[in-house]
Amino acid sequence: MTGALSHSSLIQVALPSAAQPAVIAVGVLYFAVIVAISAWAARRTRTASDFFVGGKGIGLIALTVASVSVSVSGFAFIGGPGFIYAVGLGAMYIVLPAAVTNVMGAWVLAKRMRLLGEARNLITIPDAIGARYRSPAAQGLAAIAMMVGIVGYMATNALAMGVVINSIFGVGLGWGIWIGMGITLAYSASGGILAGIYNDVFQGLLMAAASVLVFLFVLNFGGGLGEISRTILAHDPAFLGPWGRLTPLAALSFFFVFSMGSLGQPQAVHKYYMLRDPLQLKWYPLLKTLGLVLVLLLYFSVGVGVKAFVLSGRLAPLGAPDQATPALLLNVTPIVLAALVFSGVAAATMSAANSFINIGAAIVTHDLPIALGRPVKNELLWGRGVTVVIGVAAAITAQRSGTTVAFLGIFGWGLFASTLVPALAVGLNWEGATRAGAIASIATGLIVTLALETAAYRKAFTFPAGVTASAVAMVASFLVFFLVSMLTRRTAPSTLDPDVRLVMEL
Amino acid sequence: MVPTSEIARVDPTRRSALIALFVGILAIAGGYTAAFSQGGTPTWAPWLLALGIPITVGAIMILGAARGARGVGPLKFPFLFVVAILAIGFCAALALPATEGSLSGLWLGLPARAAVVIYGVGLLPIVVLPIAYALTFETQTLSAEDVERVRELGRAYKARSEASLDGEPAQPDDE
Repeated sequence: MTGALSHSSLIQVALPSAAQPAVIAVGVLYFAVIVAISAWAARRTRTASDFFVGGKGIGLIALTVASVSVSVSGFAFIGGPGFIYAVGLGAMYIVLPAAVTNVMGAWVLAKRMRLLGEARNLITIPDAIGARYRSPAAQGLAAIAMMVGIVGYMATNALAMGVVINSIFGVGLGWGIWIGMGITLAYSASGGILAGIYNDVFQGLLMAAASVLVFLFVLNFGGGLGEISRTILAHDPAFLGPWGRLTPLAALSFFFVFSMGSLGQPQAVHKYYMLRDPLQLKWYPLLKTLGLVLVLLLYFSVGVGVKAFVLSGRLAPLGAPDQATPALLLNVTPIVLAALVFSGVAAATMSAANSFINIGAAIVTHDLPIALGRPVKNELLWGRGVTVVIGVAAAITAQRSGTTVAFLGIFGWGLFASTLVPALAVGLNWEGATRAGAIASIATGLIVTLALETAAYRKAFTFPAGVTASAVAMVASFLVFFLVSMLTRRTAPSTLDPDVRLVMEL
Repeated sequence: MVPTSEIARVDPTRRSALIALFVGILAIAGGYTAAFSQGGTPTWAPWLLALGIPITVGAIMILGAARGARGVGPLKFPFLFVVAILAIGFCAALALPATEGSLSGLWLGLPARAAVVIYGVGLLPIVVLPIAYALTFETQTLSAEDVERVRELGRAYKARSEASLDGEPAQPDDE
């Protein structure tokens, strides 16, 4: 849910060294389990469908836990609590949409994408756009937009992995990047998304366990939420105001971008193809929402708890907000719990990296060749090769320039949201949406996001408080989608095949 | 019998949801545009988001859940509830005076305005929406018959593709 923020926050913070025997032991155990799962999954990967969508044979529980795992990323453990510590409850507007996003995704996208996969054997998100609009051009443009976002995500993910692994093992940032990426690549290239899913299950369970334990520890250590609130209210009442220190516009803007934007996040939306039986979607939103709530308990409790502990003098003032989680873990909690959380952060970054590598490989070997009218014959072989290339390129980029990488990581979420949500989420539910509307909307999202983010990054332009490039681009993309579709609506009926029409009507 | 495609084209629920979605996005756009005012963000700008976001979220869920002439059936109640919860939560946070202090009363451990947002906006929809989705799944979302109908059309599509003598892809190029 919070990928773009996660990486930049992990990059900005130099995590303190946690290289103690217990932390290293848990870290080694964690990586051993990853290797074992990957070896098992690699033996089951025989086709491109296995590689990119797990052969559409993943069970409900596994898919749910895996989806929680890739939706959260390291932000929930490091950047998020730090953000709450810095701005108060206004930071909660990033995660509050989780109450509605999963069921919203189920109603708007899950059924239709899963059924399209059933009817057409689709395996990617651009596939669905191509089938909906009968347009290789729309498919290709969506693929390009996604690839731009993935480049940013991957470079920042690689750097985030390096930061975490360096903190656990004390091997240095460079080695941390290559160790993390090497292990992720080993299971991504051999077992594809199948290895990714089952590693995500393990990683998701680890993250949930770590989150719940930290939540309980903080409440116990602070004497309950009421006592924690009393401490904060005595020193800094604005912190517990409904917007924290953010402006109302900024907080609400977070809610908008992270609720509607969730419908365009490929790492989560792509999972809809993988469910073994479409009828199992019945319990998917409930289970995923509950899983997300568990994983996000740490986000809230550490951010608020550390604020109270610092104000009451039980914890030394932090050097930077992102030190909230490490400071709590290394100074207050039992070391085993710290080890669990550090492994959980490593798990979150690796899980996200695997998912994006796999989606990127599918774009290069499947979507772009289709858009160019030259489908690849052996997608499995090419998929494995491209997986390695993307991973290595991301690791090299991550080592080059911190500021460039931070910039790349900023716009991932917004880019996916502004380019995919109208064309995919609205388009699959509105027969009046047209090919021209979809193409114009995707192009608008891509251009506006890149232009505004670049201008803001180069300080050529400053947004008013509460306005972000992501939000502006998403609004612009929606409006262009509606406007162009209305202007070209006479062509709408001709762009629907009978099976696609049925999927949209059900 | 009216073909399902005709039903969908005139379906008032989807049309209303689309209009609401468009209006919600326009309201949000208005809020952002106002923020660029020379005198700073006007006090009414966040209200446009506070109302536009619930409308947008509710509209897109209704758009996804609507099913032909049946509309959203019994789901209208949970949808109405959640849109109201979001709107009330955001508007209450904007409208209620800031009274947080060391003597504030706490609701489940949080000051009143924060509790409205965290528990109301963040937790109440979880109790309602996923349960409503599961309880109405077979009637409103997907049945075994639906899956079989889609599979049948998929098989027909595949057969047409394979029968194509010149090997053209079944998915035609853009016009």
